[in-house]
Amino acid sequence: MKRITIDPITRLEGHGKIEIFLNDDGGVGNVYFQIPELRGFEQFCVGRQAEDLPVITSRICGVCPEAHLLAGVKALDDLFQVEPPPAAKKLRELFYSAFYVTDHTTHFYALGGPDFIVGPDAPASERNILGVVRKVGLDIGKQVIECRSRNHDIIRMLGGRGIHPTGALPGGWSKCIVEEERKTIEAAARKNIDFAQFSLKIFHDIVLGNKAYVDLILSDVYLHRTHSMGTVDAHNRVNFYDGKVRVVDTDGRELMKYPPRDYAAHIAERVEPWTYLKFPYLKAIGWKGFTDGNDSGVYAATPLTRLNVSDCMATPKAQEHFDEFYTTLGSKKVNGRYTPVHYRLATHWARLIELLTAAERMLELAMDPEITSPNVRTIPSGTIRKDGGIGSVEAPRGTLTHHYEADERGVITRVNLIVGTTNNYAAISMSLRKAAEKLIVKGQLIKEGLLNKIEMAFRLYDPCFSCATHALPGQMPLRVIVRDAAGREVETLVRD
Amino acid sequence: MKTIVVGMGNPVLTDDGVGMEVARQVRQAGNSDSDAEVVELCAGGLRIMEAVAGYDRAILVDAMTTGNWVPGTVRRLRMEEARLTRNGSCIHDTGLVEALEIGRLAGVRVPDDVRIVGIEVEDATTFGETLTAAVAAAVPEAVACVLELMRAKGGDHDEHRRVLLQLRN
Repeated sequence: MKRITIDPITRLEGHGKIEIFLNDDGGVGNVYFQIPELRGFEQFCVGRQAEDLPVITSRICGVCPEAHLLAGVKALDDLFQVEPPPAAKKLRELFYSAFYVTDHTTHFYALGGPDFIVGPDAPASERNILGVVRKVGLDIGKQVIECRSRNHDIIRMLGGRGIHPTGALPGGWSKCIVEEERKTIEAAARKNIDFAQFSLKIFHDIVLGNKAYVDLILSDVYLHRTHSMGTVDAHNRVNFYDGKVRVVDTDGRELMKYPPRDYAAHIAERVEPWTYLKFPYLKAIGWKGFTDGNDSGVYAATPLTRLNVSDCMATPKAQEHFDEFYTTLGSKKVNGRYTPVHYRLATHWARLIELLTAAERMLELAMDPEITSPNVRTIPSGTIRKDGGIGSVEAPRGTLTHHYEADERGVITRVNLIVGTTNNYAAISMSLRKAAEKLIVKGQLIKEGLLNKIEMAFRLYDPCFSCATHALPGQMPLRVIVRDAAGREVETLVRD
Repeated sequence: MKTIVVGMGNPVLTDDGVGMEVARQVRQAGNSDSDAEVVELCAGGLRIMEAVAGYDRAILVDAMTTGNWVPGTVRRLRMEEARLTRNGSCIHDTGLVEALEIGRLAGVRVPDDVRIVGIEVEDATTFGETLTAAVAAAVPEAVACVLELMRAKGGDHDEHRRVLLQLRN
């Protein structure tokens, strides 16, 4: 039996490892995707004051602290049984919208986009943001940097600090904004909308305008029919900050819709012997293995699935793209809503539609007369909820749930987090397996493009190993090792 | 010469916090001869480029988990060794060299002179706020190394330029 290992070159950060085991016929037997274990998160949190948790948990990740901060503070609202004033909720969502714009922008131009803009078969050294600039022009590099900069300024203004903001407090927000600040935010939001539309145009021209790329998106390699999860507002529209978690099946029928508080009634976690990371699945269906379809408990929570669970978008410009997205990708309208799209590479397109709706929502909130209200805090005065506090948001990489339990003094006794990437662990494993199956035929390895085709399968999820493992990794170089039955290394493919 | 010292890492992941600890001690040891700014940063890639924008010289301090050296080893790294440190690159955007280059191309004034001080660590996979003994013992050497780099007049820009040239070709 041949054993193929995709491994980082060195023991550098993050060392995720992909192992492919071939069966006797030379086909793909099993594919294991492992992330290294991090120890002691629960012990680190237990015994601390509950109000420290949002800031501590936001330290888990240098990239998406805003998501952890808000999920954490919503868990505290619940734990302390306090309702933030409307202006505080709006400030939180405004802050979060600015974060979404930077995060989705960065992913598209620096990480996901280069596969399409530079090309999936281009050398790895060119498949980066520099390659994008070479292809599209220097101006796009300037625009990406300006976009990040203006939104970082807003995050700093609202959150108190640029990195690891502290503005969120149980019961509200630490400060209100004045008219002058509101005007700055409004101007930034307008630029964000232009930029998001411009980004969608690039996607149209370069990706949708190229038959080879469209074929790749529609190819079987990156097709998975799993259930979709995402947060929706009262009208079943995409919302990143608040709402109910909705799950639709592979045909678009609603399976469940629940307040984040009830997550444990709907989501169970599967333990596999080969990894310490758990696989969440839908309790109502049960764990049926790493399989597609309505009978499987596997679901995904990504930009693509957030669109799939929504009946429509909450903002007008994004709605136009939403319609185009589903009609272009062959979806039909059933009972007034589009059937889900399951082409995983379409996640990149969905992410850009989310970028646009985040920008539009940011403008709506900046124009809201209540946004400058000085009433941004309800001081918690109730008792500590005995059954714990639960809060969730849609992190860019999937539904993020924080669950804190504390004693009557507010000292933490238990912590549970289900992060975006964890939701997708089963789906990522399945995507990797499918990519491997297409690239390994009768024991023969199609070396050309193997690394990148497999990487594309997990890059579309933009997995955050820091969050999944509660670690902080950096770049992850990969190595594919092919071993014969005796374990001898017969072939090595390297990408650094 | 306007200098910035960037202490990188995760302060709640045991030894991964060493870069920040060195930065804090450099700040305390700072004297009037130096106009260096000292900051802490939790994510690499484009975030570093944005942090060092506007400075003539940047000194990055970060943990390494290469396994090539004993824990507590302090190394001055060349630009092409940037990926040896834990937090210089960002898995969600780009490597350090690429990040500086995209900034430069886009008209951001990024330093010509970028130095990296890496400290090999023992444990960066357990939650904790205390450095292990070997790494704690290496902090004074790393601080001295950063202070020496800060005192150096002018910079050896050739190395960075050479790396960038390679990248462009």
